[in-house]
Amino acid sequence: MTQTFDSRPRFDTVLIANRGEIAARIQKACRQLGLKTVVVYSEADRQAPYGKTADSALCIGPSSAAKSYLNKDALLLAARLTGAGAIHPGYGFLSENAAFADAVEKAGLAFIGPSASSIETMGDKISAKRAMIAAGVPCVPGPDTALADDPAVIERVAEEIGYPVIIKAAGGGGGRGMRLVPEAGQLQEAVALTREEARQAFGSPSLYMEKFLQHPRHIEIQVLCDTHGNAVWLGHRDCSMQRRHQKVVEEAPAPGIAPEVIGPVGQACVEACRQIGYRGVGTFEFLYEDGAFYFIEMNTRLQVEHPVTEMTSGIDIVQAQIKVAQGDLLELAQADVKCAGHAFECRINAEDPDTFLPSAGIITSLAFPEGTGIRVDTHIHAGYKVPPYYDSLIAKLIVHAPTRAEAMARMREALAATRVDGISTNIPFLRALFEDSAFARGETDIHYLEQWLKQRRAS
Amino acid sequence: MSGIDFSDPATIAFLTDALTAAGVSGLEISRPGGQLRIVIATGNEARIDVSATSQPAPAAQPLMTVKAPMAGHFCPGSPLRSPAAGRLPRTVSAADILGFLRVGPVLLPLCAGRAGILTKQLAEPDALVGFGDPLFEIEPQS
Repeated sequence: MTQTFDSRPRFDTVLIANRGEIAARIQKACRQLGLKTVVVYSEADRQAPYGKTADSALCIGPSSAAKSYLNKDALLLAARLTGAGAIHPGYGFLSENAAFADAVEKAGLAFIGPSASSIETMGDKISAKRAMIAAGVPCVPGPDTALADDPAVIERVAEEIGYPVIIKAAGGGGGRGMRLVPEAGQLQEAVALTREEARQAFGSPSLYMEKFLQHPRHIEIQVLCDTHGNAVWLGHRDCSMQRRHQKVVEEAPAPGIAPEVIGPVGQACVEACRQIGYRGVGTFEFLYEDGAFYFIEMNTRLQVEHPVTEMTSGIDIVQAQIKVAQGDLLELAQADVKCAGHAFECRINAEDPDTFLPSAGIITSLAFPEGTGIRVDTHIHAGYKVPPYYDSLIAKLIVHAPTRAEAMARMREALAATRVDGISTNIPFLRALFEDSAFARGETDIHYLEQWLKQRRAS
Repeated sequence: MSGIDFSDPATIAFLTDALTAAGVSGLEISRPGGQLRIVIATGNEARIDVSATSQPAPAAQPLMTVKAPMAGHFCPGSPLRSPAAGRLPRTVSAADILGFLRVGPVLLPLCAGRAGILTKQLAEPDALVGFGDPLFEIEPQS
């Protein structure tokens, strides 16, 4: 392969444009690479511990995320004032904002993530689907074009796909801006409602239609690409355990999927990355039903659940991401990627375990498990005040063991040893879930957790 | 929750949307500094009333801290003023400029915001300060 070295800026200081556990995680990776860190924070996060261990820390705005972590100008100003050479966006907030990625690079800084054009392409679900079909990645049946306005054309498309179908906003994602249509009689009303929602929520009325899968699992493939045309996939994850489209527990590898089935899909993802000139880390999300994969979207950023892949592959994904942003060549080829054992991640949220309402307040004391095959990614400590303004994720409990059954047993022990006092958390709910026999068998679909909760409430 | 500014239009809009989405007909928040009342009409249009309370002000006014309105380098005093004029403590009026924030070539004035006795400077000259960092302390005049 011809190596064309680009002129990506090398940097010695990284501004972390995020908060919470991921800010602490990125800081750790930077330190291990010998890089200095700048932590920016809102007023609500003034006492965050990772601010005290950073080389520089700067308050950029009030507690409201719109005025701090989502304030592009404040972040760029902070980078300029502190001499940062790169910005790591973490996940959420501005991590998939093409305009921000563009502004960062125009300011002469490195954006630790893909190019603005890649973010833009994959952020529009229709253009993403088109790019995936071109690269040979399997997609959900349905056209790779926006839905027409003509009701007759819409009806014809639905008939060709076959009911049930799902109407989705082209600019949506994460479970927002979609509507199930079980039969023809409900089609036109569903299209009109979703179009209006899409216009209001995402600024574009563009919609598309796909076959609705009845009992799919959520499977994802982690990719890592450099700026020299090299790309690898680091194995797969199962994130089917979801509540209201939000992942609760993730695992790697996805159970019950043979390597010869998923291997070609992983290779197709790598090929798609090469075709669109993707750089950095990314995740291809698929629905998996009856032995077939259907691409749903690509997340052009680091995922919350990246640790389960780190545990099975032995690769530090955050460090690798930063090295790519420095312009480094990937240090490994596909043949070097060897996934071993099984890993689970539990998202520990500050929320009521029954109602799932957020629970802000002061953590009076806490205990986390330690030992072989146990990892805790968190920023909290005794005395930490959980602010009410942001996502309720306060820690990630990750375990790794040789087999899935052993990993489940380890997670049960780890959850039993985890204690967070002073606020409500979902730990009791997670403990109960890890006692469930169907979950223990594996291969549950994306609707399983909602049904399990419903039965639990009824009993 | 005392940090929330209920006179901020963005906060009011957020609360209005949340009430409308939840089907709640109204909300009233009273604090020592004022009152916010949002009433969702049947047509889903909100009537908003933000008012300062007519309660008498507390007898003893607290210390006031002048905070940085954004990130920048702190420049106390003025380049045009003699060093003697910057001595502490000193009496200041609400409109007095106590210093500047330097952001690149721009100098952003830092106003006292209230009359009183300027007693303390809380940041070092040329220090990098962030939003909300305390810069000066003003005591009320007795």
